[in-house]
Amino acid sequence: MQIDMNKIQSIVDDDGIIFLSYGGYLSQTLISGMTEVLEKEAEESNVDINASNKIFTIFIELSQNMMHYSKSMNQDDDSLRTQGLILVTRDNDMNYSIRSQNIISLEDKNKIEPKLKEVVSLDKDDLKKRYRELRKSGQHTHGRGGGIGFYEIARKCNSIEYDFSKINENRYYFHIKTTIITKKDK
Amino acid sequence: MENLTIEATKYTPKITLDKSGKISLVGKSYPENTFEFYTPMMEWVKKYFENSPAEKTVIDMEIIYFNSSSSKLFFDFFDMIEENAQEHNIEINWIYDEENESAEEAGEDFIEDFEELNIKLVAK
Repeated sequence: MQIDMNKIQSIVDDDGIIFLSYGGYLSQTLISGMTEVLEKEAEESNVDINASNKIFTIFIELSQNMMHYSKSMNQDDDSLRTQGLILVTRDNDMNYSIRSQNIISLEDKNKIEPKLKEVVSLDKDDLKKRYRELRKSGQHTHGRGGGIGFYEIARKCNSIEYDFSKINENRYYFHIKTTIITKKDK
Repeated sequence: MENLTIEATKYTPKITLDKSGKISLVGKSYPENTFEFYTPMMEWVKKYFENSPAEKTVIDMEIIYFNSSSSKLFFDFFDMIEENAQEHNIEINWIYDEENESAEEAGEDFIEDFEELNIKLVAK
């Protein structure tokens, strides 16, 4: 089969994609390498340190989530399959979007969906309050972290959209899009 | 007790633990397994306060950016420090780039959460 690289290139150019990783196995080293690429991108595009650090933090949260929670489509296979899609785009107004998509179990969907519902409903002050409450109580703390990643993301971006689409009884695609406005209000 | 230095990596900070009372964390923090990575530091600091802490302990935190599990870990770290704040002279400097509002805000959150601690915001 012939792969048309020009076609891929034109998708990348037309949609303002500056960074794309698809289908590969994620590792900590890879995440750190991708973060370095984003650092270069932010520097060359003169994104200020505040906005660029928000981009890095969200990118790291989303990719580490994928690394820690992704499953294969096979609902009988409960082992981790650290694969997913992560995509960073920039539009002409210098708004950055970070999207990720991966396969998760029904159990994890049930854990994260209430958090996502909550974070999209709260304003910045209430997010700060909830974030600090949960960090202090350790209520959501588990082996890998504090269970406050989505609150961290919500505090650092301007909007979050997400959806789950069912693959089978026990597996869902989880898609999340976060947007960061880097231009300051005049 | 021995001094302990953990060199920085691309995703973990340089950690300096000096029994003369100088503790510092400098760099980025998003380890694959945060709690595991910071265990040696947490154990060192626990022992330091149990044994013979210096007359004054200065803790410099200069973390450029960090993931949410590091945020939880820093909270637990400050919590442990606060337990010793009554008996010991402890100063914490939260160091950040003056243009980095989120880093400043992170420092302010810690100040609000740990009223017993002497945390100073230091803009560079």
